[in-house]
Amino acid sequence: MLKMDRRLLQNVDWPLLGAALFIIGLSLTCLWSLNPGRGISALMWRQVSWVGVGLVGLLVVVSVDYRNLVRFAPVFYVVGLGLLISVFVLGRTVSGARRWIHVGPFTVQPSEVFKLIFIITLAWALTSARGERLSRAALVGTFVLLGVPFFLVVKQPDLGTALVLVPVLGATLVGLGLRMKVLGGLALGSVALMPLAWFVLKPYQRDRLLVYLDPFRDPLGTAYNVIQAKIAIGSGQLLGKGIGGATQSRLAFLPERHTDFIFAVFAEMWGFLGCLVLIVAYALLVLRGFEIAAGTRETRGRILALGVTSVFAVQILINIGMVTGLLPIVGIPLPLMSYGGSSMVVSLTALGLLISIRMRQFH
Amino acid sequence: MAVSPALSNRREAWGRRVLALAVVSSIGFLALVGQLWYLQVLEGGRMQELSEKNRIRIRPVAAPRGILFDRNGLALVDNRPAFTLSLIPREMEDRNQVVARLAVLLKMPVGELMEALEKVPADSIRPVRVRRGLSLEDVTMVEERKLELPGVIVEVEPQRTYPTSTFAAHLLGYVREVSDEQMKGGRYRRGDMIGQSGLERLLDEYLRGRDGGERIEVDALGRPVQVMRREEPDPGAQVITTIDRRIQEAAERAMAGKAGSVVVMDPRNGDVLALTSSPAFPLDRLTGNLDRDEWVRLVRDPMSPLMNRALQGLYPPASVFKIIVAAAGLQEGSLTPMDNIYCNGEFTLGNWTFKDWKPGGHGHVNLHQSIAQSCDIFFYQAGLKVGGDVMAKYAQAFGLGSPTGIDLGGERFGLVPFTPAQRQRTKRGMLAGDTVNMSIGQGQLLVTPLQIARMMGAVANGGVMWKPRLVQRVERADGTLAYGSSSQMTERVDLSPVVWAFLRHSLAAVVKDGTGALARVPGVDIAGKTGTAQTISKSDSAKGQDHAWFASFAPVDDPQYVVVVLVERGGKGGGVAAPIARQIYEAIFLQKVAQVTLGESG
Repeated sequence: MLKMDRRLLQNVDWPLLGAALFIIGLSLTCLWSLNPGRGISALMWRQVSWVGVGLVGLLVVVSVDYRNLVRFAPVFYVVGLGLLISVFVLGRTVSGARRWIHVGPFTVQPSEVFKLIFIITLAWALTSARGERLSRAALVGTFVLLGVPFFLVVKQPDLGTALVLVPVLGATLVGLGLRMKVLGGLALGSVALMPLAWFVLKPYQRDRLLVYLDPFRDPLGTAYNVIQAKIAIGSGQLLGKGIGGATQSRLAFLPERHTDFIFAVFAEMWGFLGCLVLIVAYALLVLRGFEIAAGTRETRGRILALGVTSVFAVQILINIGMVTGLLPIVGIPLPLMSYGGSSMVVSLTALGLLISIRMRQFH
Repeated sequence: MAVSPALSNRREAWGRRVLALAVVSSIGFLALVGQLWYLQVLEGGRMQELSEKNRIRIRPVAAPRGILFDRNGLALVDNRPAFTLSLIPREMEDRNQVVARLAVLLKMPVGELMEALEKVPADSIRPVRVRRGLSLEDVTMVEERKLELPGVIVEVEPQRTYPTSTFAAHLLGYVREVSDEQMKGGRYRRGDMIGQSGLERLLDEYLRGRDGGERIEVDALGRPVQVMRREEPDPGAQVITTIDRRIQEAAERAMAGKAGSVVVMDPRNGDVLALTSSPAFPLDRLTGNLDRDEWVRLVRDPMSPLMNRALQGLYPPASVFKIIVAAAGLQEGSLTPMDNIYCNGEFTLGNWTFKDWKPGGHGHVNLHQSIAQSCDIFFYQAGLKVGGDVMAKYAQAFGLGSPTGIDLGGERFGLVPFTPAQRQRTKRGMLAGDTVNMSIGQGQLLVTPLQIARMMGAVANGGVMWKPRLVQRVERADGTLAYGSSSQMTERVDLSPVVWAFLRHSLAAVVKDGTGALARVPGVDIAGKTGTAQTISKSDSAKGQDHAWFASFAPVDDPQYVVVVLVERGGKGGGVAAPIARQIYEAIFLQKVAQVTLGESG
């Protein structure tokens, strides 16, 4: 299976892979410091095994021509839809949301997996129509195709994932040269629909939404998290407290410290300089992704590359933005950093897709 | 390499647009670096200081629950501050030791405390409420041993207080901590107090308000140093009901020691002025901590005090139903006011003999006198003339057999035989004997006191069927309207004006010189109908086994009040239910009620 052309191997994007592995390494040190130990119960070792699974996924994707993946998009789409629906049937409710299903000893978060399927479906739907120009029919078809799973994700409710998918779609359409007038119209239309949704919501759901917008409405919950995260980050100062000194994180003042708020742990340990290094690594990854997208000639590859890159960019910016208090709190993991199997495997597989596109750029 | 100009143009355009997106992302990354510079370098020192003495405690401030008022602005319930014992899991260094000490101190089972703690994560910073309504003694004991009890705090929360233990219990309903089952919807937080029955449940969303919170800094001993931020709670909205507290109290007083229900309604708009069900349950013992013994006692009580008899109790309407037989007969032409029979106290149909309630009978009676004296023999024959189907049609028109639509849940439908739907359901056919039984409101016919009140309202106002209204409006703390309701006419019974006039005239005679004479109040014209419902266990029909009805309205010329009284196994309608109605009318018209001040018994 891995019998590959020499020329293909020469074009593997080592800087991209290097940046990703570097970030994963930083993540593992954070997890180690939060929950040190040798057994499989230790967070770090569990995450290491997820990285292993993710790398296998990466290799598989790299070895396959991405055009074949796009060809099978309808299959992925149906499977993804099935997974999302299964959440409502088999799903386990955790703090009011059904997002996870059990597969043997593991729990899988289908909305995470769906991010990847979303991009592949997007590439398939936008290119399967005849003609080079982006037709209106193809556009409407795409919206219908992606609207159904989007609704399911919102319904779970996993507002975080839903919030990622919208800008990804937007970025892809911008890249494809959708006229600004049409894009603006779509944006305005969805903004106009929002008050309508407001009436459909139940009062407690409205309350939740308001808390997203203004954490101080819920002084006991979200606001506390934001404040503790800010204290953790700020107290790291210029050089950080080191692995042993991160009291704020270790003493468990920080909620969700190994998942969505892991950046705060990192920032406390390594300070401003450490954060700078991490952000540069992320920026390198994202900009390299854009470069691959820009250098691709084939439309399906372009859409895939742009989609994957935007998923990374949006998640990184929103997650760090919310942990540092720039954005309201939504449940979005930090790719390659946050603890969690689904997110790690999907992120690495997505990177595999980028590498695969880059390898086949010059064919 | 011959690339066509069009293709290269397109490639350039794609590259430019991707570049634009890359620039946008880069701006995002720069913003993050800027924010980190601010937090870690500019504010870093201050944050460092905060993290060193990070002993911030979050304390919820419970929102006072909205008050329910009667139509004249008198409060039906109130709040008073009560002490609640809470545990903060994160601050309990040795959980077992603290729980053991607390259990000994307050004589609480260890299991109960542990159970409450196990429901939340061990590092939760949010207080877990373990006991409400602490006595002042308990509070003193806990406060004195504060140093031995890390993580134990006493909070002050508003708690419901009632004029009397059972006042309007079914109407108001009780308030209690949200159960595990109710938590599943994700609507509530652990420890939230929510309405569990009656209006408290119906309007919970409005009454609850929104809890606030305090962020306080505490020293190493857990003593508050300063309040860093306080988010005031939003108090719950106020509810203005249609109830008249004076009448409600009079009705409850009149029903004291009896089982049954009283409904007082305004026939002009359907406003429910009073609604009682007895025996009632003690609201104050169900509010706050769950008193398991009390709960078991209530559930097992053969008198089922938790049932709201006004809308869930099903009884044969007995002679009250004669109003409908007369209305149906007169309107359809099968009866006339001139109809006249000789009543000897017995009526024979085939092999069956039906008796009048009065041994020896009433002698010569016409329709008017038969209503006033409640002659059964006349109505046996009248029922046969009118026919079961027609009686059923009119019973349904007057709202029997269907819910009144009152906002309280759990309303029962009752049963009207002879309707097409009912005929299909019963296997045996309907016999003439069933018609005879139905004509005096016995047999399969079953109604609720509220349905009878609505029916009497229609008789009083000439046919308008109102949806019983309990809530006038809900006002938020800032005075804005959260919910408003207006009277709703659900249906209209169309009878000739002559028929309405005849009914009112005859019903007035019931009280003036008929079976309802004991309801008479000097200076007030009251129209009504007595009823004595035979209960199933006829075999040991000792005296006082029948349900007593009195359904009435007043004043006859300008009806403003419908009063319906049902006393379960109380005896004769005229002897038992009518005097209770009299007491209520006296309270309404003679204003003899001494005002009971709120909170007297609280």
